Amino acid sequence: MARNIFILLAVLVAVTFMQVLGFSRLTVLYTAPDALAVFLAFSAVTLGRNAGMGFGFLGGILTGLLSGAAGLHMLAGTLGGFAAGSFHIPRDSHATPSQKMRRIYAATAVAAFVSHTVLSIGENPLGLSPAYRIVVLGLLETLLTLLLAFAANLLILKKTFSD
Amino acid sequence: MNKFFGLFLRYNSWVILSLLTGISLFVTAIEKNDVPAKVTTAGSDLRAYLAERLGSLGYLLHIKEENQRLLQQNSRLLGRLLLAESALREQNALERLQHATPPAMQRFSVARVVDRTFSDRENMLLLDRGRRDGVRKDMTVLTPEGLVGRVTRVSAHYSSVMPLIHSDFKVSVVSSASGTTGLASWEGGREDLAYIEHVPISSSLAEGEEMLTTDFSTFAVPGVPVGRVISVKPGRLFSTVTIRPSVDFSRLGYVLLAPLSNEPEKLRMLGEPAPGEENQ
Repeated sequence: MARNIFILLAVLVAVTFMQVLGFSRLTVLYTAPDALAVFLAFSAVTLGRNAGMGFGFLGGILTGLLSGAAGLHMLAGTLGGFAAGSFHIPRDSHATPSQKMRRIYAATAVAAFVSHTVLSIGENPLGLSPAYRIVVLGLLETLLTLLLAFAANLLILKKTFSD
Repeated sequence: MNKFFGLFLRYNSWVILSLLTGISLFVTAIEKNDVPAKVTTAGSDLRAYLAERLGSLGYLLHIKEENQRLLQQNSRLLGRLLLAESALREQNALERLQHATPPAMQRFSVARVVDRTFSDRENMLLLDRGRRDGVRKDMTVLTPEGLVGRVTRVSAHYSSVMPLIHSDFKVSVVSSASGTTGLASWEGGREDLAYIEHVPISSSLAEGEEMLTTDFSTFAVPGVPVGRVISVKPGRLFSTVTIRPSVDFSRLGYVLLAPLSNEPEKLRMLGEPAPGEENQ
């Protein structure tokens, strides 16, 4: 169990660096996919709400240190992990791999939208209107994050769930 | 007691949520303090270092185009240098009369843009020059084409720049032809459009006029091109003036850092902290 936690923490650090240095540059209309939301969704669905919040909080600290506004990123990660935890699948569940994946997609969408909303309320460097920022860009970011989750599913997660 | 622990176990997610939210809000509140600001600056340093290393790979792949661009930039700089030298000679003659050395004559330093982010979350440029290279907060950042922004944060080896296309950025400008003054700002949306505020409808400002930085600015070197007027629409009291920024922010590779031109006494009169009087 402790080994798994260390592996997940290492993955969290890697995902955060990839997000800050890589994915955040793949912008479409000022938005970029949120790799951290995909990781939060995976951890919250498999390990539960508390794990989702914890990883969101730690991911927020790292993101905040690398790009400024640490408190806001911590809050966004915590709330994103909490929201994604609503889709938790208990260990003894008989859910099929496809049902688990559907839950991960739903959790990803919710985590991405919640995190985006918190960050949008907290900072607005481009001076965009609140409705446009939260609704339009929020939905676009959710869509981009779902595409990223889909790609992650094809490359990594599918293997995890079929095992 | 058992009842209390029962409640805690039942609602532990909410307790943890409240705790983490509280810590996050506390960190948000103290973020501007000295120690957290230093930690954030160190984080930006690490990010800039990693971005620079990653950027070097892409840089090597496009070195031929980059060389071509630098050659063109050099030729433009040479033209400007010749013009500046003739102006300098005139200035020297004046100086001999006035026995003073204006700060604008000090040398500009060159910096490479190692990271840039233009999104609805972050909007900044990171330069590979910091405090050890003589960079200070509020220095003017420009290219031969015009104004880029101002330095807002400085670490030992890197500095962070708030560009003209940031909703909090404002700079005092004057028209090169009609002498109309105003305040250049950016209101979000398109990166190739900015606005001039406080231009009265009685002003003779016309399309095509170049807007330059003024002596009124608390940070910018005067005479730097900011943009060219592309439309003037009269309103009730003030005109809505749209300009096209002189700098193409999507193609920034190298920038110049102008030495601080503001005078401490002037800033004190305006109620702003003078350079060196605040933490950087």
